[in-house]
Amino acid sequence: MAEKNSSFSQSDDYASGAGKAASKEEIYREWVDMALLAPLRVAWNDWRTQVGSLIILFYVLMGTVGVALVDPPTEGQGPRLTTAFQDWSVPLGTNNLGESILSATVHATPPMLQMIAAGAVFSTAVATVIGTVSGYKGGAVDRVLTTLTDIAMTIPGLPLIILLAAMFNPTNPAVIGILLTINAWAGLARSIRSQVLSLRDHSYVEASRIMGAPTRRILKDDILPNIMPYVLINFVNSARGVIFGSVGLYYLGLLGGVHENWGIMLDGAYSNGAIYSLKGLHWLTVPMIAIVGISFGLVLFAQGTEKLFNPRIRARHAETVEDTAPYQE
Amino acid sequence: MSEDHVVSMENVEVHFETDSSVLPFGPDGDVVKAVDGVSLDIPENDVVALVGESGCGKTTLGKTAIGTQRPTGGSVKYRGQDVWDANDGTGDVDIPFEEIRQSLQIIHQDPGASLNPNKTVQHSLGAPLRLRHPEMDTFERRERIYEMLSRVGMEPPEDYAKRFPHQLSGGEQQRVALIRALLMNPDLILADEAVSALDVSLRIDMMDLMLDLQDSFDTSFLFISHNLSNASYIAGKADGRIGIMYLGELVEIGPIDEVLEDPQHPYTKALMWATPNLNPKAADRTASPLRKIDVPDPRNPPEGCRFHTRCPEAREACTTAMPEPEDLGNGHEVACYRADDTHEYWNSRELADEGVDGLGPGESTAD
Amino acid sequence: MTMQQTHTAAVEDPIFEVRDISVSFDMDRGESRVLDRVDMDIQRGEILGVVGESGSGKSMFASALLDAVVDPGVLTGDIRFNPEDGRSVDLLDRSDDEDIKDIRWRQIAMVFQGAMSSFNPTMTIEEHFRETLSIHGYDVDEGMERARDLLSDLYLEADQVLGSHPHELSGGMSQRALIALALVLEPEVLVMDEPTAALDLLMQRSIIELIKEIATERDLTIVFITHDLPLVANLADRLAVLYAFEFVEVGPSDDVLTGAKHPYTRALLNATPNLDTPREEMRPIEGSAPDPVNVPDGCSYHPRCPLADDLCVREDPPLDSSDPTDGHAAACHHVERVPDEVPLTLQEVTVDE
Repeated sequence: MAEKNSSFSQSDDYASGAGKAASKEEIYREWVDMALLAPLRVAWNDWRTQVGSLIILFYVLMGTVGVALVDPPTEGQGPRLTTAFQDWSVPLGTNNLGESILSATVHATPPMLQMIAAGAVFSTAVATVIGTVSGYKGGAVDRVLTTLTDIAMTIPGLPLIILLAAMFNPTNPAVIGILLTINAWAGLARSIRSQVLSLRDHSYVEASRIMGAPTRRILKDDILPNIMPYVLINFVNSARGVIFGSVGLYYLGLLGGVHENWGIMLDGAYSNGAIYSLKGLHWLTVPMIAIVGISFGLVLFAQGTEKLFNPRIRARHAETVEDTAPYQE
Repeated sequence: MSEDHVVSMENVEVHFETDSSVLPFGPDGDVVKAVDGVSLDIPENDVVALVGESGCGKTTLGKTAIGTQRPTGGSVKYRGQDVWDANDGTGDVDIPFEEIRQSLQIIHQDPGASLNPNKTVQHSLGAPLRLRHPEMDTFERRERIYEMLSRVGMEPPEDYAKRFPHQLSGGEQQRVALIRALLMNPDLILADEAVSALDVSLRIDMMDLMLDLQDSFDTSFLFISHNLSNASYIAGKADGRIGIMYLGELVEIGPIDEVLEDPQHPYTKALMWATPNLNPKAADRTASPLRKIDVPDPRNPPEGCRFHTRCPEAREACTTAMPEPEDLGNGHEVACYRADDTHEYWNSRELADEGVDGLGPGESTAD
Repeated sequence: MTMQQTHTAAVEDPIFEVRDISVSFDMDRGESRVLDRVDMDIQRGEILGVVGESGSGKSMFASALLDAVVDPGVLTGDIRFNPEDGRSVDLLDRSDDEDIKDIRWRQIAMVFQGAMSSFNPTMTIEEHFRETLSIHGYDVDEGMERARDLLSDLYLEADQVLGSHPHELSGGMSQRALIALALVLEPEVLVMDEPTAALDLLMQRSIIELIKEIATERDLTIVFITHDLPLVANLADRLAVLYAFEFVEVGPSDDVLTGAKHPYTRALLNATPNLDTPREEMRPIEGSAPDPVNVPDGCSYHPRCPLADDLCVREDPPLDSSDPTDGHAAACHHVERVPDEVPLTLQEVTVDE
């Protein structure tokens, strides 16, 4: 290779003109701003992120601090079927066994959060890896992975889950979470694959290939940031899928009663005739509110943070960039 | 001899198979011969311009030259080393493919699409430095990036380095793309319509910059354009060559001024007629020098010399076989039977005008 | 009603009288004025080349002529259209909506760049023609005869093209079909915005020649808008140069090419790659065009102009700054000094010949 006129030897000529490179502190500050603060600023700027993250925070607190503060549900905590806001030792009332609804709701939260986290992370991670690799690599790898995805997509989800739940009777919430998303990743994988297919031929991706950049670097820098909006929305959808799926299965009695779950509460309320009289209303509505609440919080959060991945908005909030630059129309 | 040439292409063929037919009235043969037997040498520190209309194969040939497109026939050599042998690992590999890959770079046509919209300028420019000089640390990389930004006129460099692509104008984006290519310290850069998307008043600036940096970095340029005026400017200033392509063939090549002053191939003459000229005196012939306006379907190119269906000088002899390049001296070659005084072309019958698709009744072929 | 006498080069028989046209958009960061108080007369039967770089307002001028400015843009000013037969119409008088619709396409037709997107992909070309003819109340059979003639004048196989869908035609063929469609109602004016931009060199030149022929045969007035100065140099009778949303120069083509009066026009001529211009003499233009939200006070070209002085920073020169009796006007305070300070490289070449 032509090293004789290496660009390095030219640096003496230009040193006077070029600015002195930044000091270590400056570089660090810049990095913090670009990678952390600017995204945070962008995200926080939207009311949806604010409300959504507050809601999620609330649930997390409920599942951690709340569990310590509130006693676990036991029979006879209060008189049977007291309605809400009557007796302050059982603020949300009791069920037919005298168990405090509040206790039940709070203690159902940790396993639920674990399920959501495990399931959503699992399905999103699997989908992203499979979708990206098959879209980028192409060829035989693509064919194999796509066939796998298609199989997962066509097997009916609910019967499969029910079957597996009946066969293995899992008790670990993380395992349950993953079980519930056993084929939900397929749809996302497919859509990520088509995104990646089109991104692959963009000029800047080609330029990286021509520079000889290793594939993992190209995937990390060029491909992934551009599919993040998809990934994020689908993460939230998986989470919601886990929520409703688990509630449904518990409600149907297909998952054992090892943990508390809002679904179990609903099941209990229903089978004891709570829908027929106002006396059992609290037993029904409190778990419902809990379910809808977290779902809503997740959706708001996702909508708000989607903006994060738009470089135009990120640039506007970053402090290190002088924002007098011309905008492309 | 091939040791002197950065890239040497011999009889390169790039044939694509297409199974989806866009035109319903197309033939069965679904092979597009994008490049069909082209030989081209690119020496060090030189400029070669490739001009032709869409479908002529110039972009495909360009990508073959920088080792991104694998030819289906013929060979591509980098300093004597067959590029694809190096890639596959066959035979004695003198120069490893990684080295070859880094020496051949590209600048794309659309400046807006050639930079990652999610990364700042400094991140995008850091990438080539990490690959070429992994021993550099963050400060050294910064210094180098600021140096280059100043060099291309983007002052203050600290400000520009932190911008995202959407905060740069088209001209600035293209300059960043140029820096990115140069930081790899390449031996050949493919400039694929690199100035076509820029405003007219910015083109000369960009081309001058490319030539300026060419000297410092000791790089060759393969400049592809459908615009003869742009190509002639950059090739002319660098004293380089220009090659004209038509339907996968290289029909003429030679030193830029010689080709412009004394074009030998009828297609080259047609291109010059078609190139808009500011000089009011240049509005000579108004009638098209071609027998047909429309380009033939690339999946079913004409027999023999591919240009014969539109060539005003075409004769029977032209339908037999594709002419071999005739050496006219001084590096000027042309693939046309008219260059050979002794060829049977001169004795064969002129091809009659077909009427319908031609210039219409009452219009004769020019000349 | 007579229009006030324009400042620009007087035109004997104007088919269009454009007065004080402005188009503005209200953006978050300010008011974006993409056409700034523009005056222009267009002579009946002429080919006017409107030249401007990207971001100069040229496409907006085309939209304005047809009162087709997209929302939320606001178009103000006056445009008077004087057809050959029939009364003169104020195109921006929106109370007269029916009349305006009739004028659009029947008397003023438009050809955009990118023919492919101007056609409905589900309809054949023939269906396009029929629809256009019947919507405007023409005799369809007679119109189709005319369409066939037009298509063959444009060197197309009428039957083949009529029976095809737009995606089945090549770029050159669909652009020509679009021109035929624009002409089928026999308009008086054709407004063309970069009609050859997506085409190859040879096709482009052939179509330019065809346009020239058609213009003379059918007595058309053509407004040809492009960024490519050399392209329109030999086609147009007059050239009008746009910079920063205003006209900075207008005059007969030859005069403008060999003796441009405005510094920008001269700089543009010197910076345009061209086969005949000596390469060593070419010069790029320093600086960049202004953002529509942030146009400089006074003369909008002053930040880039070698002749700029205090007067230029304070006052925006009108288009009649030069002596417009020769039909050649430029918006510059220092027209007399321009030839010396901004030498034209091409002029040296043509003078020698």
